[in-house]
Amino acid sequence: MNCYHCGCRLSEKDFCTGCGADVSVYKKIIHISNSFYNIGLEKANVRDLSGAISSLRQSLKFNKNNIKARNLLGLVYFETGEAVAALSEWVISKNIRQEKNIADDYINAIQTNTARLDTINQTIKKYNQALSYCNQDSLDLAVIQLKKVLSMNPNFIRAHQLLALIYIYTREYEKARKELLKCTAIDANNTTTLRYLKEIDLVTSGAEDKETQQKVRKKESDEVIKYQSGNETIIQPLNVKEQTGVSSLFNIVIGLVIGLAAAWFLILPARISAEKADINKELIAVSEESDQKTTEIEELKRETESLTEAKSELETQLQSYVGADGTMKASDSLQKAVRMYLEDPTNLQAVGDVLMEIEEESVEASTSEEFSLLYQKIMELTGPNISTSYYNTGYTAYKQSDYTTAITNLEKAVRFDPANGEALFSLANSFNKNGDKEKAKDTYEKVIELFPGTEKASRSEVYLTEMDAS
Amino acid sequence: MINFEEELKKFHPSLEIEDAEEAIYNQDLTDMADILVAMLKDMKEEE
Repeated sequence: MNCYHCGCRLSEKDFCTGCGADVSVYKKIIHISNSFYNIGLEKANVRDLSGAISSLRQSLKFNKNNIKARNLLGLVYFETGEAVAALSEWVISKNIRQEKNIADDYINAIQTNTARLDTINQTIKKYNQALSYCNQDSLDLAVIQLKKVLSMNPNFIRAHQLLALIYIYTREYEKARKELLKCTAIDANNTTTLRYLKEIDLVTSGAEDKETQQKVRKKESDEVIKYQSGNETIIQPLNVKEQTGVSSLFNIVIGLVIGLAAAWFLILPARISAEKADINKELIAVSEESDQKTTEIEELKRETESLTEAKSELETQLQSYVGADGTMKASDSLQKAVRMYLEDPTNLQAVGDVLMEIEEESVEASTSEEFSLLYQKIMELTGPNISTSYYNTGYTAYKQSDYTTAITNLEKAVRFDPANGEALFSLANSFNKNGDKEKAKDTYEKVIELFPGTEKASRSEVYLTEMDAS
Repeated sequence: MINFEEELKKFHPSLEIEDAEEAIYNQDLTDMADILVAMLKDMKEEE
């Protein structure tokens, strides 16, 4: 203890040995402050934080420089969730004594942990927000905010108390009691907490009594009839019927019916719909597969058609090049005929036989101009003579009634020289004599067409008329 | 029976950290010792 006047250390005397100032009253003030500090410390030890705050504040009112009291007060404030109040006390304490002061450690513990500092600030803001919700009658929002506050700072007594007050107002007494019990765990003798708890006890005990009485009365009225019969007290239970076999059976039957009905109306439709759903799924899958297959089949059909077309085209092209034993063979035959004629122009029979190998269709189908020209040339040179030779042979056979040979040779004669009218007319006669009326008619008509006004034409007309008449 | 409105008035907004500095400055730290010293000073001046 130092002198208030000169700062000298005081002795047990009632005056300062340094400046002589009267320090008796001053010493008493300091002693009272220390007493209050001791009381505050005791209360803090038994968790009477409200009492401790009160005592420590008293201590500081007597001696503001009581560092221990101030630091302890800060601690108690922090324990009750009042972080800003705690920081204020520690800052003031540090200002009074900068060195060897535990308040320094307390301040650093909060300020260095920025996350914690931020949490503290958020808690305070949300608490203030909850309070304003309460004032605006938005109790649901206030409850939500307070729950958030308490999740961040479970020691915040005022938040617990405010939440308990809201629960009391909304008649949720059990929830209010829970909150208040949490408060008592932090601060055992908080007046507000104890007052709220008493209120809840009053309300709930009154309600419980009424409920209990009603239950007892009901129970009593339902249960038994008591009466005295001589020395005996007869207690007869009410509303008890004897269970007979028939009624048991009846109950069983009713139970079965209910069970079946439940199964029929509840279980079966669900099962049926589940099965239907499965079937539908399968149906859908099968339909999709079927559609897919159909599409594939269509595609394959189209492919087949296009391939068939391509094949036909290629075959036609091939025909035009190869001629199915036609044009290629025709070309060889033509070359052979030309060679034979060049080697021996008099051997017309042989040349004619070779030229006969060339089919007229091959000549028409040939795309080679040279082939056609060569064929025409050789026919010009040799055709008439070959035709005459075949006509002679054919006519001889006709005269001998060998119509088959006659037809063969006369056809060759006509082929090598279409202008050979005699051959054509003899051919028609041969067909006629041979019984081939149709061919005979066609040939007679050709004669009439190609050689009009000739004797052959008039005789052809006569024969035609005779044939039509027959 | 607790009156909700009356009880609610007893709950005041809590100080935020930003307001702590102002609160510290505004705190009246006069104690009994200061009053005693002032009283003694007054008495001396009167003498």
